[in-house]
Amino acid sequence: MRDFSSRPRRRAARPVDLAVLAAGTAAFVLSGYTTTNAWNGRQRARARVEETRRESEAVQARVRELDARREPAQAIAYQALLTAEAPPPRVLADLVALMPGDVRLDAVSMTYGEPLGLRVEVVARTPSSYDLFLDRLQRSPLFTDVLPGEENRDGELRTSIQMTYRSPEGAPRPPAQRASEGSTPERAR
Amino acid sequence: MRRSRPRLFVALDAGSVSGGAGTRGGGGFRLASHARVPLGPGALAPSPFAPNVVRPGEVVDALRELARSLRIGAEPVCLLLPDGIARLALLDVPADVTPQQYARFRIVPGLPYPAEEAVIDVLPVGPGRAVVAAVRRSVIEGYEAVAEQAGLAQDRLDLTPLAALSGLLRHPGDAGGLMVDVVLGDAAFCLAAHQDGVLRALRNRRRDPGPDEPRRLAEEVQRTSVLAGDGAGPHVRVVGAGAGDLLASWRANGGTAEPGWRSEGAGAGVEPSELAWLGATD
Repeated sequence: MRDFSSRPRRRAARPVDLAVLAAGTAAFVLSGYTTTNAWNGRQRARARVEETRRESEAVQARVRELDARREPAQAIAYQALLTAEAPPPRVLADLVALMPGDVRLDAVSMTYGEPLGLRVEVVARTPSSYDLFLDRLQRSPLFTDVLPGEENRDGELRTSIQMTYRSPEGAPRPPAQRASEGSTPERAR
Repeated sequence: MRRSRPRLFVALDAGSVSGGAGTRGGGGFRLASHARVPLGPGALAPSPFAPNVVRPGEVVDALRELARSLRIGAEPVCLLLPDGIARLALLDVPADVTPQQYARFRIVPGLPYPAEEAVIDVLPVGPGRAVVAAVRRSVIEGYEAVAEQAGLAQDRLDLTPLAALSGLLRHPGDAGGLMVDVVLGDAAFCLAAHQDGVLRALRNRRRDPGPDEPRRLAEEVQRTSVLAGDGAGPHVRVVGAGAGDLLASWRANGGTAEPGWRSEGAGAGVEPSELAWLGATD
């Protein structure tokens, strides 16, 4: 029926309207019941997801814990290996072998990890001696990552050097250098 | 279904407000009640754009008097708005769209007001064809406001020319040739040409009352007949305000027009053909 009203028309309810209303109400109730069921199902699913997530996080945390435990074990094993292959006397001997005669070591610290790190406090009588020592370190296959520290060139040259030591099995020792210098740990001290 | 329809109708037009209730039988309309309250000139001016209710107080008073005459209480009434406020068109509607949607595509862009202000409804006139009407919302609201102020409970709201055409097209007549129906309003009139149940042409014009109007209306009927493809003496029916006078004038000049609907039994003191809104009761 045509209706040009600017607002929705009011109309008396007819039996068919009441039937449609009843059907609509029933559909609404049914949809509400279905919605409630769906909502509860969703909540249960979310709870399961949350539980699974917590379990997953627990497993991951356990994995991380085991990884953390494995790392020191590896480090200890590697340290033991390095200690056997590169004992301090040998490392010190290799280092001293490269030192010119007017260079001495004031302190040496070794960190047995991967790789084996060295930090040495050096005193050189002349800068040229120090330069020669640095040059030998940088050319040596036993020492890598040579990093000179700040230098004090007033009078005696004092500085520190950081480097890493490579296992002699992977890098043959240069016997010629050792022979020509004739350095000993005792001299270095 | 019939019980669901409002039994009371209230029609507003430039010259009066009228209303009542009626039923249609095999021989014509039987008016259960009818009343008419004249309006002062200019109190209500049907227009597609401007506010129609020029003197609201006067229109409200007339509606209240009409309600008292018809003993309208809280029962909802169908409001019928006059000819001259809507853009009317006969459209061939594609199958994949509703008449309302198609009207928005075809008619609304040509309206002299924003599209969102257009209230559109249709009168289906067969498969794929519809008379569509677009009315400015503010115009409708003006009528609704005075009806509310008069204490009328509004059910639906229709246009008198569409209600009349609806009633006329449901009873296209026995004549086998072209039929031209004339629906008179106080401010405008409609001409609908149909044949074999198919509406072929629809025209909507403003009225220009005067001594010469019957002749001009006859010419408009002839133009409509030609527009519908048959200019050779169509059958003519007339309903609406002044239908009796127009028919008398035409008959006096040799015309053969007849009233759109007749009275069945004793009426309520008015000729049903004068009441275009009776088409809504059918």
